[in-house]
Amino acid sequence: MTVDEALRALADPTRRAILVLVREREVAAGEIAAHVPGMSRPAVSQHLRILVGAGLLDVRRDGNRRLYRLRPEGFADAAAFLDTMWSGALDRLKQVAEREERARPGAKEGSA
Amino acid sequence: MTAAQDRTIERSLRIQARPETVWRFFTDPERLARWWGTAELDAREGGSLRVSMHEGPRPVMRGEFVELVPHERIVFTFGWEDTPGAPDIPPGSSLVEITLTADGDGTVLAVRHSGLPPSLGDETGAGWSHLLDVLADAARRA
Repeated sequence: MTVDEALRALADPTRRAILVLVREREVAAGEIAAHVPGMSRPAVSQHLRILVGAGLLDVRRDGNRRLYRLRPEGFADAAAFLDTMWSGALDRLKQVAEREERARPGAKEGSA
Repeated sequence: MTAAQDRTIERSLRIQARPETVWRFFTDPERLARWWGTAELDAREGGSLRVSMHEGPRPVMRGEFVELVPHERIVFTFGWEDTPGAPDIPPGSSLVEITLTADGDGTVLAVRHSGLPPSLGDETGAGWSHLLDVLADAARRA
């Protein structure tokens, strides 16, 4: 998913209502549709597809039912992943650069 | 919900090596591979940089050098090629600025990684639950 997709998904009031509905438990597509009065089933399915595509909902099949639940990690991943990446990479850079510096010709112990 | 803000990660550390030594670890692919990942790069402004990381979901970073001031400053765009399990940061969407400052016989290296997707949750995920509470309130009032 992209953040643009996620924000677009959140911009629609029907989709926000669906997210609230599924935030604490899995909910079947039929029950979600029942909570969105005045909207056709295909239109509700379209909203669900957009939410799944944006990484905000998980879906699984149970027999002939589709069950939806919130995917709370949808947004939080990116920053933590990069924090970890930079920490590990910079530690390794420090080690290899210092080793090369110590090994360079003319390097003196304690030289300034 | 507050307006989405791009996120920036900032880090700095001191390395007991001269700036010219540290510089080579960004511009020489063989040296870059020793700390970040297998690299193909063309170290000039507008040149490309591709790094295959060896960790986690093994994402591939793709970027382009924007600025290269020898021994002082390296700026490149940063994104992941589409990788299952890696966060979605398309190539070109974020920017990494590396600054090398001589400090005695060492170097202070500063990294600024900006243009990252806004995080609706902070590291603990508290922000995300807050957002949902706001949505729930709004839904109740509607």
